Amino acid sequence: MKKVTALFLAGMLAFGAAGCKKKEGGEAAPKAGGDTVKIGFLGALTGDVAMFGKPTLEGMKMAADEINAAGGINGKKIEIVEADNRGDKQEGASVTQKLISRDNVVAIVGDPTTGITKVAAPIAQKAGVVLLSAGATGPGVVENGDFIFRDTLLDSIAIPACIDFFATEMKYKKVAIVTSDNNDYSVGLSQTFRDAAKGKGIQIVADEKIKDGDKDFSAQITNIKAKKPDVILYSGYYTEGALIMKEARKQGLKVNMFGGDGLFSPKLIELGGDAVEGTMSALGFSPEQATPVTAKFIEAFKKKFNNAEPGLFDAQGYDAIMLLADAMKRANSIDPKLFKVSLAATKGFEGVSGTISMQASREPIKSPLALLEVKGGKFVLKKKVPVKMD
Amino acid sequence: MGASLQNLVAGMDPYFLQIIVNIGIAIILALGLNIITGLTGQLSLGHAAFMSIGAFVGALLTIKTGLPFSLNLILAGSITALVGAMIGYPILRLTGDYLAICTLGFAEIVKVVFLNLDITNKALGLSVPPAHSSIPMPIMVWICAILAIVAVTFLQNSRFGRALKAIRGDEIAAESMGINLARYKISSFALGTFFAGIGGALYAHFLGYINPSDFSFLKSVDILSMIVLGGLGSVPGAVIGASVLAAAPEFLRFMSQYRMLVYGALLVFLMVFRPNGLLGGVNFVDLVLRKLGKKPQLAVRNGKKGE
Repeated sequence: MKKVTALFLAGMLAFGAAGCKKKEGGEAAPKAGGDTVKIGFLGALTGDVAMFGKPTLEGMKMAADEINAAGGINGKKIEIVEADNRGDKQEGASVTQKLISRDNVVAIVGDPTTGITKVAAPIAQKAGVVLLSAGATGPGVVENGDFIFRDTLLDSIAIPACIDFFATEMKYKKVAIVTSDNNDYSVGLSQTFRDAAKGKGIQIVADEKIKDGDKDFSAQITNIKAKKPDVILYSGYYTEGALIMKEARKQGLKVNMFGGDGLFSPKLIELGGDAVEGTMSALGFSPEQATPVTAKFIEAFKKKFNNAEPGLFDAQGYDAIMLLADAMKRANSIDPKLFKVSLAATKGFEGVSGTISMQASREPIKSPLALLEVKGGKFVLKKKVPVKMD
Repeated sequence: MGASLQNLVAGMDPYFLQIIVNIGIAIILALGLNIITGLTGQLSLGHAAFMSIGAFVGALLTIKTGLPFSLNLILAGSITALVGAMIGYPILRLTGDYLAICTLGFAEIVKVVFLNLDITNKALGLSVPPAHSSIPMPIMVWICAILAIVAVTFLQNSRFGRALKAIRGDEIAAESMGINLARYKISSFALGTFFAGIGGALYAHFLGYINPSDFSFLKSVDILSMIVLGGLGSVPGAVIGASVLAAAPEFLRFMSQYRMLVYGALLVFLMVFRPNGLLGGVNFVDLVLRKLGKKPQLAVRNGKKGE
């Protein structure tokens, strides 16, 4: 048995050593060399958060195919290097290092979640590779340095604009806030709700907590009902959102719900049915009254994916590649040091997820904002809300 | 010295370093659990929770104080050990499944506490600034890992270690031999969680961002798999198990989406053919001593009472 063990160990070590050697010796090509532009995808393709990673990658591939069909960037084809991180932070860090030091990517798109983006951003910044997150909404991302960007509309910009609309045009005076306290996106967004409401003189009459994965919200709804708010501001995802509204309707609570882009999913309507009629969500783009760019994207997407409707992450993944390509073309270079400057100078870029301008902080603004409402079992445009630039 | 070490690390391939550091941290965590579960035979399913205590304490120490990183690590480990001892006191009267469920419950409590404390930034998690140290992280991790390997190797051959093994073998027999069960169990729990705390603090500073949800039940199971795979109660086993499982996701990357399938199959395969783990019952010091002729050879020893 000892011999077997020794043999096995020797095999393992040899395997490991071979793995290192091969990788160390391989591909030492200079970054700008070759006739392709390598862009890395950082995200989960398996595991709990694959629902964000997969569509992002689909959108990226669509954009890359379109650009390549039209001749590429300055004659160079885009190549997307993908690697799964399972939604694990340690693996996210490894993948980022791999994309940068093994695959020699000039830019990375990802991660769709804030946590892994925060782990990856310092690595990309240090290596001088542009990281453009398509999905991270939390604070503390672009603060990592001048190579770090995102193309997701920030809640801290979108929400105050919507709350302003609620206060001035809908005359809402009392709101109830519901937070999912084991969800970082929700905790961050609820704080934005509170700050925005305070700024507009809206009274917060209830501040309830739930958890992702909860099924029973009767206690919270009973409390909220007693306080008679004009609207429920909910900061979590669509699954719990739909169940909360079902409970609210069951208890005879008539008010509607408003949330961030976490509510925007066909699943919300699938799960909530009639109860989510009137539920509102704020996005950078509207599937209705689409701009020509968006309409073209939706058509191409439907053709490619069997008539499926594109989601927010598809659109943001698509835009991420288009933004990078646009910046590289304007900089006439695929050197991250050069095209990061032109990326930061992006103004009025017609993306499929909205008209994107980069602020000095490298945070995007998409204006006008689309306030969507569920009507007749689908999301329709309620109001286009303008957003102020800083 | 710090500068030359920095240069050494800067000259190495960052991807390779990343994997090496993942392995180093996994070794420290696995060795800690190996003391509790491998040596003493107390099944703990809450190792990731202790790791999270170390991670948050270490991170907060770096954020709030200017403490040098080495002291920070020791403090993070000690506070975790203190919590471990406090928790161990009531629950270590339980054995087997009951103890496992208690540690599981404790792990959930820790997670919920971190999710609700203002100082840990609730569910938003903490961004951890670079460690206050001139020694680069990869070297720091490996210094700790090697110290841990040496410490646990000596520990398991000491009087204390033999007492723990006696408890694993048979609690009643051990007690009748004069071993104070409660004291030894709590000490072993505290020692194991000390390593978890250090591993957690290293994890926090290496990644630069931590979130309570990173330290879930699955992380505990990951660590447990490492020591079961390597062989319960064996130091080289824990080291090999941690290395294999920490590196596997990267080495199997060429299989893209099938890699976790292969990873699972690998575990099943190993457990079927090596139910005691890769190096179950192998003791490094013993092996070396035998080679040097300081101890009787295996054949002779097998005739006597086994280890």
